[in-house]
Amino acid sequence: MIAQAHGPTAAQMRDWGLDPTWSRLVDFTTSDGTAVRWHILDNGADPVRGTLVCTHGNPTWSYIWKDFVAQAPAGWRVVAVDQTGMGFSGRGTPRILAERISELVAFVRQHTAGPVVMAAHDWGGPVTIGAAAQLDCRALVLTNTAVGLPDGVRMPPLIALARSAATFGCERTPAFVGGTARMTDPVHRDALRAPYRGRERRHAVAEFVADIPVGPADRSWITLQQVARDLDSVTYPVLLAWGGRDPVFHHRFLADLVDRVPQAQIQVFPAAAHLVTLDAPVADVAWTWLLDTVPDLGESALPAGERPDTGGEPVTAKDQGSLTASPPASSPPASSPPASSPPASSTSAAGFASVTSGLVDRSTDTSVAYRGPGGTRSWQQLFDHAHHIASRLVADGLTPGDRVALLVPPSADCLAAAYGIWLAGGVVVAVDAQIGLRPMRRLMRAATVQWAIGTSRTTRLARVVGLTPGARHMVVPAAPGHVDSGQAHRDEAHRDEARSDQALPTLHPEAPAAVVHTSGATGPAKPVVYTHGALAAQRDVVLGQFPMGAFTTSFAPFTLVGPALGLTCSLPADVTPGALDFDAFVAASADTTTAWLSPAAAQRVVDTAGGRSVPMQLIMLAGAPVPPELVSAVETITGADVRAPYGMTEAMPLTDGTTPAATGPYGGTCTGRPLDGVDIVITDVDDPGKLSTTWGEILVSAAWMRAGYDRRWGLTRDATVAIDGTMFHRTGDVGYLDADGRLFQLGRVVHLITPAAGPLPCVVPEHEVLAATGQSVAAVGVGPAGTQALVVVVDADANLALADLATTAAVRAACSAPVAAVLTGRLPVDIRHRTKVDRVALAASAAGLLAGR
Amino acid sequence: MRVLVTGATSLLGATVATSLARRGDDVTCLQRRPSDTGLRDVSADITDADAVRRAADGHDAIVHLAALVAPRARWQRFVDVNIGGSANVVAAAAGCGRLVHISTPSVAFDNSPAMGPDAEPARYSGRDGYARSKAIAERMVLSTSIVPTVVLRPHLVWGPGDTQLVGRIVDRAVAGRLALPRGGAALVDSTYVTDAADAIVAGLDATADAGHRAVGRAWVVSGGEPRPVRDLVASILIAAGVEPSWRSTPGMVASIAGAVVGAAWPGSEPPLTHFAARQLTVAHWFDQRQACEALGWEPAVGLDAGFVELARWFAEHPR
Repeated sequence: MIAQAHGPTAAQMRDWGLDPTWSRLVDFTTSDGTAVRWHILDNGADPVRGTLVCTHGNPTWSYIWKDFVAQAPAGWRVVAVDQTGMGFSGRGTPRILAERISELVAFVRQHTAGPVVMAAHDWGGPVTIGAAAQLDCRALVLTNTAVGLPDGVRMPPLIALARSAATFGCERTPAFVGGTARMTDPVHRDALRAPYRGRERRHAVAEFVADIPVGPADRSWITLQQVARDLDSVTYPVLLAWGGRDPVFHHRFLADLVDRVPQAQIQVFPAAAHLVTLDAPVADVAWTWLLDTVPDLGESALPAGERPDTGGEPVTAKDQGSLTASPPASSPPASSPPASSPPASSTSAAGFASVTSGLVDRSTDTSVAYRGPGGTRSWQQLFDHAHHIASRLVADGLTPGDRVALLVPPSADCLAAAYGIWLAGGVVVAVDAQIGLRPMRRLMRAATVQWAIGTSRTTRLARVVGLTPGARHMVVPAAPGHVDSGQAHRDEAHRDEARSDQALPTLHPEAPAAVVHTSGATGPAKPVVYTHGALAAQRDVVLGQFPMGAFTTSFAPFTLVGPALGLTCSLPADVTPGALDFDAFVAASADTTTAWLSPAAAQRVVDTAGGRSVPMQLIMLAGAPVPPELVSAVETITGADVRAPYGMTEAMPLTDGTTPAATGPYGGTCTGRPLDGVDIVITDVDDPGKLSTTWGEILVSAAWMRAGYDRRWGLTRDATVAIDGTMFHRTGDVGYLDADGRLFQLGRVVHLITPAAGPLPCVVPEHEVLAATGQSVAAVGVGPAGTQALVVVVDADANLALADLATTAAVRAACSAPVAAVLTGRLPVDIRHRTKVDRVALAASAAGLLAGR
Repeated sequence: MRVLVTGATSLLGATVATSLARRGDDVTCLQRRPSDTGLRDVSADITDADAVRRAADGHDAIVHLAALVAPRARWQRFVDVNIGGSANVVAAAAGCGRLVHISTPSVAFDNSPAMGPDAEPARYSGRDGYARSKAIAERMVLSTSIVPTVVLRPHLVWGPGDTQLVGRIVDRAVAGRLALPRGGAALVDSTYVTDAADAIVAGLDATADAGHRAVGRAWVVSGGEPRPVRDLVASILIAAGVEPSWRSTPGMVASIAGAVVGAAWPGSEPPLTHFAARQLTVAHWFDQRQACEALGWEPAVGLDAGFVELARWFAEHPR
């Protein structure tokens, strides 16, 4: 039975941003002889390179794929279908999942030629996966979908509600359609609602919901089980493109799919909700991924002899000189367990000394390993505690590659927990609580940890606020036989028993070790994945290229490096940012020769020294660029070798941090020479494929570099450039190498000011004004890139306004570049680095004022 | 080269005429009353087509600056002078061979801030007679001129001896009647007079080649150094030896007051027209990269050196 099918009008299509020529009605017959009429969006291209078939979910229609159609590369046919009873397709008898699958199969067989790639959203996912198993499908893009409920996850409340009131909520009232349309930008609402106006046009919406099986009694249960098995056996490339704020198909549905398709590449769009293809540039990423991943289907798409001679450039090869666009940088597998689990005696793969080996090697050493909050620990105690935690985790079922949220505040227990997780083969997931609860929860949920380890207070809190849904929570067990004096001698037999109660896995260099997060100083915080190999390489470079000794640090996460280095570390009693003053530093550093400080902490120690001094051998200042004045002030009060090496969350350290006062041809802050094992190249700020002979974006490569951004295939790809076979990380920093090979940092690419005279790093006018007037200022560009006006904002506790004439004249005189306007006002700082000015926000405010709106 | 310059009684017209003469061109100046250039003068009204054609006879090129720049003239006067006058010049130029038409960035002003665009098409449709007539004239010139033609839109030209911008600002400040919309925060471009004259000379030279990139379209010409209105005003007052002081008016008030005052002000010179108020309230500065490249020109003096020249002039010409 074919009910009336009619497409949208051309005027509607144009209103919705669709090309009216895409709209078509097609007829086909399923294998059981049912005649079907579908409305589809079809770019009508000759599929020289391939065909993409897109299937929507419930209650949407092919509209959600409009960007996929619009952005189709040359030679790609894109077909987005409206399923039976939905969108502008015919309204027929109720369809169950198996029928929907056979309809899609029949459509593809009768209306496309050759192999296909497929994309699906929501409950279009099971339909597509089921159909793909019967078709010659070469790749799959899945967006916010599921093939069942992950273990321990109940039916999404919205679906449960809609299902229990399917007829009422979905058919009799437009509530379900309207509710779905409200999940995205209002610009899409009319298009999303249009095909479902009138109760008789909504039958299928209700039927679709009613057909979602939740148990063996439901008629589509068996089909969905088969679909899940089909997905489990997929061997071709899969991209999971996911809206991170979907209340229905949340991160744990993603994690379930990741488990089923370990080879899948993942791109999470943190700000996008359920209708991810409308909320985020999914089409951009998906097309990039398809072109990178899927070989040209054209050869097999058409019978021999019919294949047009394109003579065009190949789809995937993008060779441009020696620099090429990076091949797809795989997101590190979330759960690729190391193959074997030998006895505890060996904790690292042959020839590979993981970060745990520093601790394992000193497991009988009774000298001090840690001093700070939570007391003092000997190496032996620390090892025993870590080992005990590892054994507990393994006994409770942790398998290598499992993600473990580290929720222990800076303390001896925190160190033991981190090393315990590593000894057990787990991946440490850490989020700095300083960023606030909401951002922390968002990041932690996105990481979908299987475990959370914390104090009784933090694990309780995590449960209450839903920080780690679905995780098993463990309170850090007490250290075995722990005595605070650090002089405990325990029964050897007891220790041997503690050490052998669980076999601990071997750690492999390529296995993921940690997910840490960038500060979010420039855009949202990004999850960075490190492998065990990278952490071990980082340990080796710090030990090998800096004269490190027992150290004090102001920044709690740095204590994690201590056991790896085999060095005693000391944490001040109060680790809240800004708490470390001179006296606290003297107290904390009593038995150490080295200190590892943030520039802000170092500044406070200097400011509160009051003419006193504290002798040290080496001070590492992390968080470049560090003003040379601060370096010399720290030198003065400590007599130490002060280093401010270049580095970032994704790779640190990268330079030796020497000669901070050196000057170079383009100004900026000198960070010293690249360390052994570090490659640095400077590329054009607009084109990472083009080397710059002057200054440009800094690209770095080192063995201790991040593996990628967790579940951000597109972000990882954008940040990775292959040069002569070596993978480089795009830092987003501007800088240059001088004639002596020293790296100078000029600020962030996003903070580059681009007047017609040529790009200008913001630090150049900022330093000129500071040097000439002593004024702390921020420089920003206003107007379109390439013809921007330079605006200097003088820090003052007032709303943004024009500076007085005298200040204006002084600032203009100090700057070598023409200054368009001088303002005074509060300089917005980002959440975590109180010292970093949010110049992007400042530029927007300044532009508003100077526009005179 | 023999060049006819119309409107040489204005600061910019006189500067263009003397620049051309200084480099050896044979220059004739056409305007209603004699210019102060010391060059050959023809006294004629630009609305007199025969007079314009006769004056142009024997010249190789026309540089057309003559225009009615009055805040509140009757529309018919704008039509006669700015549109009709330009039509007369286009007709005369057909017999000479080359034309440079001077327009204004106001032809593309749409009440909203313009931060760094290139020259937009002339399409002013607002109530200001000057800007509207200049927009019509520019389109007419570009569509009807049959000889190589360059249209230039110099932006906010000022310099020593300028009575339009500099003179009015100084007069008002001295009278205590200077008000800056929103404290003068809007970022605006301006052009020092010899820099603008250099651009016009470059435009004239471009017309020697009909295929030149600059020919056949309009270019905004400005100093490329946008500053807040307040900074420009302060620099002018300091150069004039006047204590910089003004009142700030909210932008909306300035705009409405301008409309009211402009309509009701007795005489020809209201202190603030709606159009002027609006223009001084919102940013307008321009992407000069294409214009500089096409004309082979860039500002040689600039703002700060210009203000030094202005101060020197005020010292020699005490108020």
